[in-house]
Amino acid sequence: MTNFSTKPWFDLERLPTTAIILSPEAINQAVEISSQIKNTFQQWQTYLNGLALFAFEQWLQERDDSFTISREQCTLLQPAIANVLPVVDKLEVNEFKLCLIAIGSLTDEEVTLPKVVVDLPEYVPHFYVLVEVLEEVEYVVIRGFLTYQQLTERLAKANLLPESDWTYQLPLTWFAEDPDRLLLYLRCLKPEAIPLPAIPKERADNLFQMQGELTALLPKLQVPGRELWQVLTSEQGTAVLTSPELLNWIYNLQSQPVETGNITFKPKYLTDLIKLLTQPAVNVGRWLWDELDELAKQSSWALLPRFMPVTAMRSPAEELEVIALQLQQQGLEIPLQARAAFKDLVLAGITLRLYAVTWYLSSDSSRWTLLLIFGAPLLGTLPDNLKLRVSDQTGILVEQGVNSKQGDSYLFTRVVGDLNEKFIVSVSLMDSVELTLPPFAFELG
Amino acid sequence: MAKSKYWELVRIDAAGNRQILEIAAAKEFFTSAFSEFSSSSDVPADDIQQQLLRWVRDITDSERHILAERCLLCFISWQIEEVCLQLERQFGTEHGFTDCDLLPYVLDDDGNLQPSKPGNSFAREILRSFDPEQSSLTTWTSRRVKHHPALSRFLLECGVYLVSDWAILNDTQPKQLQRIWREFYSFTPTEIQQAQGLLESYHAVYRADRLQKRARGIRGRCAAPTMEQLQQISQFLESKTNQKLKSENVMRLLQNLADRLRQYRIHVRGGPLPTISLDINDYSNYLVSADPGENQDEQGEFLQFYRAQFKACLDQALGIVIQSRVRKLQHQDEEKAQKFLTALHLFHCEKASMTEIASRLGLRAQDAVTRLLKLKEFRADVQQQLLVMMRSHILESAKNYSSLEDLTTLEHEITLALDEQITNLISQAEAEAQSAKNNSPRTYFTERLCEQLKIDHT
Repeated sequence: MTNFSTKPWFDLERLPTTAIILSPEAINQAVEISSQIKNTFQQWQTYLNGLALFAFEQWLQERDDSFTISREQCTLLQPAIANVLPVVDKLEVNEFKLCLIAIGSLTDEEVTLPKVVVDLPEYVPHFYVLVEVLEEVEYVVIRGFLTYQQLTERLAKANLLPESDWTYQLPLTWFAEDPDRLLLYLRCLKPEAIPLPAIPKERADNLFQMQGELTALLPKLQVPGRELWQVLTSEQGTAVLTSPELLNWIYNLQSQPVETGNITFKPKYLTDLIKLLTQPAVNVGRWLWDELDELAKQSSWALLPRFMPVTAMRSPAEELEVIALQLQQQGLEIPLQARAAFKDLVLAGITLRLYAVTWYLSSDSSRWTLLLIFGAPLLGTLPDNLKLRVSDQTGILVEQGVNSKQGDSYLFTRVVGDLNEKFIVSVSLMDSVELTLPPFAFELG
Repeated sequence: MAKSKYWELVRIDAAGNRQILEIAAAKEFFTSAFSEFSSSSDVPADDIQQQLLRWVRDITDSERHILAERCLLCFISWQIEEVCLQLERQFGTEHGFTDCDLLPYVLDDDGNLQPSKPGNSFAREILRSFDPEQSSLTTWTSRRVKHHPALSRFLLECGVYLVSDWAILNDTQPKQLQRIWREFYSFTPTEIQQAQGLLESYHAVYRADRLQKRARGIRGRCAAPTMEQLQQISQFLESKTNQKLKSENVMRLLQNLADRLRQYRIHVRGGPLPTISLDINDYSNYLVSADPGENQDEQGEFLQFYRAQFKACLDQALGIVIQSRVRKLQHQDEEKAQKFLTALHLFHCEKASMTEIASRLGLRAQDAVTRLLKLKEFRADVQQQLLVMMRSHILESAKNYSSLEDLTTLEHEITLALDEQITNLISQAEAEAQSAKNNSPRTYFTERLCEQLKIDHT
């Protein structure tokens, strides 16, 4: 008696002759990329994605060294996006956008595709390429591909809808097209041959409308392993996924230990960030040209005359001169070419005066300075519990209050930014009443 | 089954030859212990093995323990050989190995009654880990041989691989498991939940360790989880689900999980994703079915019209693709690049078979030639190069003749026509390749290719 038959073993397989051998460098780099993802459940998929990317590039180069490959936009190399996207998207080859879907050694009848790369124009590629990664034996096989048109037609025909975890479950058989044909398309077609959906313009508006909900929901993502779809609605997801800055914020949040008290993750900052991203900014660069832009006029900023070495008794310019003199004594020099404007604002019945002073850095003309001074009109005393907060796209830069013992008559802070950076300023009383001003930007012209 | 298998040992002698060693003590023990079977040559394997195993596990009678063990080890040696023979039958010819290449990895039992050197022989390891509740000794041996690390490494070098349980588990997402358990196996929600919990615990421990090993530059297959890892998995599971499991049970459950996933994998791969065979005849899979007669005419007409350009472009395309291949191979190995050119020449111009080429180039097997030549890719690359070149040639002349034509439409039409023509040309070359031995005249593709190789060789 014997259990052996002439029936072949199905568990042993031939390695396809098309298999690509993974180099030790490719493996190292993939490990490195995966280590930047803090969510341990996603680390492995990110690792497989890295292996898929490097093997795919190697395959292209082996077949034809005239392909132009660009990783510049590639989502895998941007940890904040890779953190929420389990595929390799926005790889560019000869101006085509490619999305690589890495599958491991299981071989599932269904391929999981995040709906982001199907439904969000920002992420839609020309081709979806299925890449089988045999991590254990260090081989990769390019299995097949689909064009965006083919995918959308088949989805419609099969009436396939996304599942609750924001993925489409596609039949493996959809990816039957020979990879050699992909090479043909990449070599001979023009990207226009596969039209992609246009990116809607109302992204910022939607984000702005959702700021309240998002400020409340996004901090919940700090729980390890929690994913966007578990916390947000599909619409909220769209708003978040189309905002690189918010994805960055989430990535930083998830990279922090849970107990951290880092102020960057306070809901307050999230509000600042969303406003920075969505609201028009007052261009203080124009002040240097003696102009206020429309937004500045609407928010009742008044430009002050140029600084004069000789003091003329004018108010509120005179007040600022007095303050400037005091600042100078503290070591903060305002150059003569600086320009200032002021506005009065009312917070819980108390009138405050805000001066904003701006100038180029003399040492580096690609950077600008914003000096903010809060005071009471006529150099009166500021109320206790008054707090000033300044944020940029990376986090809260300044949060400071009035020193009640010294009975400060003004509160000032100075921030420096690149020309493309914006700042947002809020003032609050007793942490309950808060006023946020339109952001400040510095554009030339 | 011949009962002599319980006292005869298959082994490899110092010179590497297969040898059968009769162990007198084992024979004497077996014949007296199972005297009731003396009349017939065939014995009921299961009963005998179970009895022997009981004696092996009962260490109160140490002599009986040693002799029963010896009998089972003899039996295992035959099973090991059988697995290697089966491997040779299934893959040996194409991938260039015989059972003689495999046996030294797995037959290391010297036939002594007690282990003569520290460290178990592979057969003793098989016996030690065998659990009669889980499988038969034959199945267990087959499984252990196929998963033997050094043997797997050798097979992989030959182009045959067995994905390990641990790799399958690594690459399975809990969501996939959930669906497969529900739809493919119809398990209950509780069973699904338990399996998912176990898989997640495994991931938390094993994947992280694997990534750390990789980060330290350690290569190799996924080994079975260590005792320490099993304990960590068990702890993780307990912290998540309050399920308390012993390490041995964790191991068994993980293997069950992997077995089921493997069965599912085989089911899927048998269907939509057949493994690509190495056989040259399989090129018929890629052929465009076309009426040869009709196409011949079309091709004639087409070629007549564009003959000059076509010839120039084909030569150029062949040149570019061959050069680019050679350059890439030279990066790896100068000799390999030369072998590629020779193989291409032997295959196309001398119509040598893959096996012939292998022996003339000193390559292991047909499989190695296929990997070196990558003919399907070679033809696709030539075809696409040709297409790109012809299109620009024809479009240029079209511009001269009819500037009023809508160039976009023309480009599309030409692309289609050319694609068809070139595909036919390539298909003929493929058909020719299939019937390598026939005496039919060379196709145009082959003619130009051989011309090109002449240039390259000089």
